Amino acid sequence: MMSTKIRNIAISVFAAAWLILFNYESLRFNYLNPIAGRELPKFKFLFPPAGWIMFYQVDETEGTAEVYGIKGDRPEFIDPHRIFNNHWIGYDNIRRNVMVSVLYPFYAESFCRYLKRRFPEYDKFAVMQVLYPSNIQYPGRRIMRPFYEC
Amino acid sequence: MTHHKLFLEERPSIGLSFFRLFAAFTVGAHIIPTLLPLQDNYLSTAFKEKNPSFFTPLALGIVEASPDGLVIFMTVFFLVFLFFFAIGLFSQISCILMVLGCYYFYALNSLHIGTLSYDILLVTLFLMCITGYHGDFFSVDSLRRGDPLAYKKKRPFFVQRLLQIQIASTFFYTGLCKFTASGNWLTANPIYYLLNSVPESAVKHFPGRVFFAHQPQLCYFIGIFIILSELSMPFLLFYRRTRYWAIAYGFLFHIMLVATLHVPTIFFFLFPPQLLLFINPEDIVAWIDKKRGQNAAKGREKIIYDGHCHFCVGSIRRVQVLDLTAKLEPVNYQPIEDLSKIDARLTRDLCHSQMQLLTKNGKLYGGFYAFRRMTLILPLLFPLAPVMYFPGMQWIGSFIYNLIAKNRYLLHRKGTCKDNLCFRP
Repeated sequence: MMSTKIRNIAISVFAAAWLILFNYESLRFNYLNPIAGRELPKFKFLFPPAGWIMFYQVDETEGTAEVYGIKGDRPEFIDPHRIFNNHWIGYDNIRRNVMVSVLYPFYAESFCRYLKRRFPEYDKFAVMQVLYPSNIQYPGRRIMRPFYEC
Repeated sequence: MTHHKLFLEERPSIGLSFFRLFAAFTVGAHIIPTLLPLQDNYLSTAFKEKNPSFFTPLALGIVEASPDGLVIFMTVFFLVFLFFFAIGLFSQISCILMVLGCYYFYALNSLHIGTLSYDILLVTLFLMCITGYHGDFFSVDSLRRGDPLAYKKKRPFFVQRLLQIQIASTFFYTGLCKFTASGNWLTANPIYYLLNSVPESAVKHFPGRVFFAHQPQLCYFIGIFIILSELSMPFLLFYRRTRYWAIAYGFLFHIMLVATLHVPTIFFFLFPPQLLLFINPEDIVAWIDKKRGQNAAKGREKIIYDGHCHFCVGSIRRVQVLDLTAKLEPVNYQPIEDLSKIDARLTRDLCHSQMQLLTKNGKLYGGFYAFRRMTLILPLLFPLAPVMYFPGMQWIGSFIYNLIAKNRYLLHRKGTCKDNLCFRP
């Protein structure tokens, strides 16, 4: 049985170390990096990469990805809810723009493999980048460009 | 010393135990939906995204090499320990193993579960894993220990204090980032932009959206109010006089968040219960004690049991653990000469054959029916009531109850009653 004194020392050391680490990671990306002029080390396996930045920067532009299945020459829009068929209580991850991840070129190959398995009825697929240049100045205007095909 | 008290003072852990239930629910509500389409999300056929800023390349590499069999094993592993954590069975070890599962699925595919709120959840869970204090009450562990006063159990306050600091700081830093660093809440009008975003965006179609979408000035001032409230939350939460208003505001804030935005419900399921950790645990215990006193004064339902049967005594102690506000009064019938003084229908044979429950309005229930009735009296047993009252349960339940009751002297932990005849009248 740990004595009370040892327990108290252990708790005090842990609490102090935790508070230093917690505040370091809260400040590191946005405040300490600019002061240090370099990328300070991140504590892996815990804490978000850039601190607590919930909706901290929102502008009037938006971007997402759309996927079209092509049968012969006819492209058909595939509802993203069919692509990623997850259902959470109280929110919709597609509306949180999870689709934008497929635009990273690094993921193109694995996403194509995934699409071919999920939708064997199509001959090929076109992954499009969709940009809304300004929801305030040009509401509803969208610019679409092909990103990659599979 | 005051600073010493901040973390080391021993205070009731009941608030932390209550928070465990919400932490378990939050984990389940966030991860289980991704486990249902396992093939699409985690098996070799899935489309996966990695989070290299969170994990080391080595950890990602090891997890990525998982064969499908291991993924299925980890699914079962995670679900088992999530369940154990939720019911508080081996609370600390099940917390650690459940969190291991959380990390595994996060490393395997961060596409669906990997969000800022998930990182916050992991920070919370990390603190929960440090001790097993969260298993002190509302848990199978507390039933195993059989201490009817477990709700008063005092523990060093540091885990609860660090969880308080975590949520207060998260509010503060969230507000700070909105107008410093590259946050644009002062230089632009983010709420106005959000409300005018495309119909498929993260903004829900809530009543009033169209009105607010045409009020840029109002949106801007709402934004300023949000920043100010987030910045002031630590002070409002830690200052005793404003604490309860700050908790109420925090609740409202998260209700508004979930009503207006498609954000992970971790915010909604975890943060309000975490705010409840600011409620003084001594106040909770005082409230429980007051209710116990009131119930004792009003007269309680009597649970009549065999005090010569160690199994029965143990069971009664577990019932007392579940009976937080002391609605039941345990009565050992063995030393009572004249049971008719309690109720005319009670006899030694009747009480010996099975446990009896005598309600305040004079109804007498025996055996399984007494237990079933308890599920309507004790709030902690409410979840069992639909099962107990399911058609047919009276036969199955009575059969099992009678089997146990007849052989209860065999169930002594020390096995001293091998012939099942000890203490028979």
